[in-house]
Amino acid sequence: MTAATAPAAAPRAWRVPWPAGPARLLRIELRRSPMPWMLPLLAVLFWLSAYRMAMNNPPFWNIRSATLQANAMLVFAPLLAGACAWAGSRDGRRGLTDLVGVTAAPRWAAQLATWAAATIWAEALYLAGVAVLYGVTAHQGAWGGPLWWPVAVGVAMIAASCAFGFAAGLLLASRFTAPLAALLVFLALAGGAFAIQDNVRYARIWPLSVQGPFPTNSYGIFYPYLPDLAIAQVMFLAGLTAAALGATGLPAAAGGRWLRAAAAAVTVAGLAAAGTAVGLAGTARVEAHGIVIPALHDAASDRPVPYTPVCSRSAVPVCLQPAYRSYLPAVTAALGPVLGPLAGLPGAPARVTQVAVTSVQSAQSNGIGFGGPVISGRPPVLYLPLSGLSLPGEGNVSVAQFTSGLRQQYGPSIVNELVGLPPDEAVGADVASTDAVPDARHAAQIAVARALDQIMDLTEVGGGSPARSGAGGAAGSGAPLLARQEAAASHRFSALPAAGRHAWLATHLAALRAGRITLSEIP
Amino acid sequence: MTAADVGRPAGQAPASRRAAGPKLAGLRLARLHAASRHVLTCLVVLAACAVALRIALHWLPRSGVYARQIPLTIEAGAAAVIGVTTGSPFGEPERATGRWLPWLRLAASVVLTGIAVGTLAAGAAAAHLAGGAAGLARDVAGFTGIALLTAAVLGGGLAWIGPMAYLAVTLPALTENWTTPWIWPARPPHDRGAAICAALVFAGGVAVITVRGARDRARE
Repeated sequence: MTAATAPAAAPRAWRVPWPAGPARLLRIELRRSPMPWMLPLLAVLFWLSAYRMAMNNPPFWNIRSATLQANAMLVFAPLLAGACAWAGSRDGRRGLTDLVGVTAAPRWAAQLATWAAATIWAEALYLAGVAVLYGVTAHQGAWGGPLWWPVAVGVAMIAASCAFGFAAGLLLASRFTAPLAALLVFLALAGGAFAIQDNVRYARIWPLSVQGPFPTNSYGIFYPYLPDLAIAQVMFLAGLTAAALGATGLPAAAGGRWLRAAAAAVTVAGLAAAGTAVGLAGTARVEAHGIVIPALHDAASDRPVPYTPVCSRSAVPVCLQPAYRSYLPAVTAALGPVLGPLAGLPGAPARVTQVAVTSVQSAQSNGIGFGGPVISGRPPVLYLPLSGLSLPGEGNVSVAQFTSGLRQQYGPSIVNELVGLPPDEAVGADVASTDAVPDARHAAQIAVARALDQIMDLTEVGGGSPARSGAGGAAGSGAPLLARQEAAASHRFSALPAAGRHAWLATHLAALRAGRITLSEIP
Repeated sequence: MTAADVGRPAGQAPASRRAAGPKLAGLRLARLHAASRHVLTCLVVLAACAVALRIALHWLPRSGVYARQIPLTIEAGAAAVIGVTTGSPFGEPERATGRWLPWLRLAASVVLTGIAVGTLAAGAAAAHLAGGAAGLARDVAGFTGIALLTAAVLGGGLAWIGPMAYLAVTLPALTENWTTPWIWPARPPHDRGAAICAALVFAGGVAVITVRGARDRARE
């Protein structure tokens, strides 16, 4: 047979139907990928950094999902970038670039199959980890349902780190590419976290930021999880993925002119998406229930989640959101010694109801301040936010530490509010601290408040405020006269029998609150 | 052989070259060994790491997790690059004929580690590095030991996996204040147990890489 008589088409046995082509290519790449060898290591790191950390915290969906986004990604992304750089540089390292460049399939398609195979392995491991962690969380009886947006950010982050590493390995095939890709991703994540900590506005786009400065247990309970920031992060990461993968199709060897034009378009679109997401993150603002990005915000997320509270049968009933059901005894035990002596007084809380955070205030170093408890309504109800507090089982916090901490943090505020001192501005901040030396108008209120603090053993926090602790020291010879009188009145009042104190408060609390009681009138 | 050597019996070197003797040959051998391992690229990367450390220290706080985390990342990167240089492009032929190979591997790993410590210390000289130069030397040595051990097990090209995975383990240890000396970066610089662990890992890595070399991968 001569060349002239050779058949134009390839022998039938060699032909593969087109629809089977990409799937077959992907199947081959799934077998060739180095990622399966990385899976045991990644599984150990997932257990160490995400699963173990999650299990060290109480079973709240918000806490558990945050570890899947922040902790898991901190260890996954760099190693995946390195492994994918290794996979991407495979042909270059083995000197096969020219050989595979003349195959029938466009190089870009084959390269994308290599990236897809590595990414599929990594995503499979991550999703398996998510399934285990969420399964255990559900088994532990967490209230509500799993949060999927942090998982979506994790999935997008894995794809982006694989794409970055793969593009780096493909475009710079060297033995140093893989470690440098891993190092760069590590540095980028650490640098991003540092920028978040430094309150850089656009840094919130970084995928380690779950809900900006909000502690992980402070969102997604009373109101739905706000996905605004997560949407921007997914958009950012998808854009970076597209840009990196598009860049691999730009070299002349990647394919024909149309294919390279398509790759260029994908790159530009990816960069545009990433840039838009960064811009959107710049418009984010901290609101009571999470991070809000106006352009992405859905008003439906502002509707509270319906629930039936769980209540204690104590003298002053304590009602909590059912997610906090297991903490009901601890909260009741913490507030009982504060509310018990005040029960029946005019304006004293007849019930305690846990509420969502109603006001937040951004602080330095990615910090946030939450509004404290408020007494209002008729009959008076103590509205108590627990968000942001370290709950029992969170890290090394014990039930006794939680009980003591809650009493010390909120007890003085409750007393302050009862005696008519101006309301607190932040949790644990004693308003009396604004008056370093008591003035005549508030002196009686401060004296009574200090006495009640002392009786209820609330001196740890209250004692830290200049007004309350200052008078004790101010009772010395060099102290102002008013401070000495106030300390003496406080001492007298705390020395009264409980029944006498309660009776006096029942009679005079309204006048005390109105500032019509003087220090000398305190028994 | 050049044209000038035509007619001269094989194996008979010119007098000048004979005079230079084994010293010149040794230097040439060391240079060729370094070139085959891309040591020059490694030195460039180490210098870049020192610059990155200097820039990072300018912005970082003087204490806290970030003051440790970012310098540690750079130190791990430097160690990973040293590990990658252990890979041989020649494989079995070099292993079979290279009589001086173990000494060359020993010298390369120790000298590169010293250079890494020196360049990073120079990068941190004018700034505050949490842990100081002693902590830096301990951490770089430990990371390098892990990289060398990984190279012996997985091959030079994959030596970066060890220090990077160890770094990933270190990050939760920094925030949770682990006390085990085997996570030496999370320990204070004067912790004797941590220093001993890092030194043991470095010594083990150097010994293994000297005796066995990085694992050859047939297809690379």
